[in-house]
Amino acid sequence: MLNNIAKTAFFIAVSAALLYGQNPPGRKVPSVTLLPTPVANVFRGRGNPVELQFRVQSGFHINSNKPAAEYLIPTTLKIDAQTDIMLGGVTYPEGEQMSFAFAPEEKLSVYSGNFSLSVMVRPLASVLPGRYAFRGELKYQACDNAACYPPKKLPVRFEVKVVKPSPPRRKNPAQSPHVHN
Amino acid sequence: MKRDPVVIIVVAMVVSLMLVIGMNLARKRTPPLEGPQGRGEVAPDFALQSLDGKTVHLSDFRGKAVLLNFWATWCAPCKIEMPWFVELQKEYGPQGLQIVGVAMDDASPTDIADFAKEMSVNYPVLIGKESVGDAYGGVQFLPETFYIDRNGRVVSRAFGLKGRGEIEDDIKKIVASNLVQAQKQVR
Repeated sequence: MLNNIAKTAFFIAVSAALLYGQNPPGRKVPSVTLLPTPVANVFRGRGNPVELQFRVQSGFHINSNKPAAEYLIPTTLKIDAQTDIMLGGVTYPEGEQMSFAFAPEEKLSVYSGNFSLSVMVRPLASVLPGRYAFRGELKYQACDNAACYPPKKLPVRFEVKVVKPSPPRRKNPAQSPHVHN
Repeated sequence: MKRDPVVIIVVAMVVSLMLVIGMNLARKRTPPLEGPQGRGEVAPDFALQSLDGKTVHLSDFRGKAVLLNFWATWCAPCKIEMPWFVELQKEYGPQGLQIVGVAMDDASPTDIADFAKEMSVNYPVLIGKESVGDAYGGVQFLPETFYIDRNGRVVSRAFGLKGRGEIEDDIKKIVASNLVQAQKQVR
């Protein structure tokens, strides 16, 4: 058993070391990824918020949609519109107010770790039920504790399933509140 | 199946040791960084437009100690350095220091000029080009600073924001060491 554990341990150690070696110290490239998004059911004829979750690589942060200074580049999500499925605004979370080693007295509004954006999807009442794909891009600009990286665009793709709204519930006929003797 | 805790601890220790050794080996195998490393290589010359529309070459500053700083308006750490550079230019300018900023920015020259004016920049700011960034190793993140002696050789390279003291120490080195080299050349 010990032999097997040692072999596994050796494999893990070598793999980890090789992965670590891909990015020399101080030369890591920041990344933001879109986490797997389940296909959301959206009802025809009404607005449906669809949540998209993103992850900022550990050790980095990106500006929020409303950065603390005018010169900073905000994070923005743009989705290509479709003809019969309207897209409302994107709701951005508030940024974390964080200060960094390079400016300990200044608070910046940033996203780090996981954050989610909400896109309002409103299919017209005439849209055929089924799955529809959306494409767009997240524009962000990342920094770490000592340096900043050029703005990047992350391709974003998600799907929704247009469904008919459930029929309104039939209400029971109102009962008379009066007591009849 | 019962596992002996001693075995588990030993295996964990071995894995940790292997990780440390493996990471060090991987670091040593990392290919060298591109561009001048600060070991006395000749700084690549360039021709860039200044904010007032003049063409400026790095070689125009030959004979001076040059601090070449790549920055951008969207770079918060770069903004921290700029007031230090303004002070250091005032202090060491009379000893032959010339700070040169290269804006690696998509912003318009007007926006860059406004930003530089707001920061009271007292040294030339040039509009960067990708080809110049490539010549200096790609400049994949900002700020990035090259310390160039009076003979046009890169004596050190700094990635990211450094402390004011560290910047000043590097400036002292290029100003002082180059004066010694200049004296040797005169002899």
